Amino acid sequence: LSLSVQIQCIGLNGLLERAAEISERLHALSTGLTNDLDTHFPPSGRMLMPRPSLCHTSSLTTPNDKEHVLRLPESELLAIVRSLLLSWSDPLHLLSAEAPSLPHPSSGSIHSKTRELQESTHVLNRGLEKLVSKIGPGSQSLDLSPFTWRGDLGSDRNSRLLNFQFLMSCFRRDSHKIDSFLKLLRCRTAKMRPEVC
Amino acid sequence: LFIVFQKSTGHEPPGKPVLLGCRSPEKETFTCWWEPGSAGGLPTNYSLYYKKEGSDTVYECPDYKTAGKNSCYFDKQHTSIWINYNITVVATNALGRSFSDPLDVDVAYNVQPHAPENVTVEFHSKENPCLLVKWEPPHKADTKSGWITLIYEVRVKREKEDNWEEHFAGQQKQYNIFSLHPWEKYMVQVRCRPDHGYWSEWSSTAYVEIPDYIRRDRSMWIL
Repeated sequence: LSLSVQIQCIGLNGLLERAAEISERLHALSTGLTNDLDTHFPPSGRMLMPRPSLCHTSSLTTPNDKEHVLRLPESELLAIVRSLLLSWSDPLHLLSAEAPSLPHPSSGSIHSKTRELQESTHVLNRGLEKLVSKIGPGSQSLDLSPFTWRGDLGSDRNSRLLNFQFLMSCFRRDSHKIDSFLKLLRCRTAKMRPEVC
Repeated sequence: LFIVFQKSTGHEPPGKPVLLGCRSPEKETFTCWWEPGSAGGLPTNYSLYYKKEGSDTVYECPDYKTAGKNSCYFDKQHTSIWINYNITVVATNALGRSFSDPLDVDVAYNVQPHAPENVTVEFHSKENPCLLVKWEPPHKADTKSGWITLIYEVRVKREKEDNWEEHFAGQQKQYNIFSLHPWEKYMVQVRCRPDHGYWSEWSSTAYVEIPDYIRRDRSMWIL
């Protein structure tokens, strides 16, 4: 109850501030994980690694230069963030479940970071729902339905490492987008932050 | 026999160029640099080619001039973020050509801003004597819209000392420094980095001289 009361009291600025904090952490974590995994990469890995255009979220076409991004209305920015994040619910769940048995010397720390990713994503998703109620319903009506992911990491040692690494590299990019879009929203709605924006 | 001929004239195909990397100062444009291999004793021409993720079309560098020698500048029209550029440099002379190892680059992970600008420092003696350092973001970085988010670090030292003292300022564009020695000249510099990216160079130095504020305080206390 106290949590919900607390959330009710936080204004739009506060919510976006908190959301951007979490998204910044998500990107930092995924960058750290990508580096951890890089230290123990199968020798043939780099050649076999799927291209980034094969990431499951690449079908969610989002603008990729400043001019186009700045033209998007708030509701649309928020819709993109939500769709991207929802598209990662299942894959992050899988990564978190598979991490403890990953054939990698740092699987313990990979596991704890992956769990933090998964939990922070849940928290951010809940925050985004609150934001939708404040920013307006436009952010729900867009044709940007999140992509449903069906897959596994494979059975042999190398494909498990490779697919884990590939998914993480995709999330690293998407979390950068999510973080960038939330920070744009933060500046747009925050007339109170001239010291920063 | 062919090898002997090459050695006698000193002419060879060009050595393999090395792609050093790419940097974007503001997430809107970027530049890539390379190091030429051995020239092979003949005039050598360098070209940069790139493919963008999801397409097989090969483009040549749009601008070899703006960023200086051995570089390629991508202006706003040629810059996308969250997309991999697969880049290769080709060295060509009359005897043949050689290719660099290709490099995959996403602008998102290669942002390094210019240094902060208009750094000023003032001595304030009200209540706690301190230095108030103020600065502006590099003018090319669009922090106003939130397209780029910068955090800052301030460093300060007495002019005659060797070691800098560093202070993390977060997203603020000003910072207070306490514990000052009177009669000393201080040097202050600021640098910035994006939320996810590399530190800029340090800014140009701002100087300030601390007046004899302690003696004034003491004399009041004695009175």
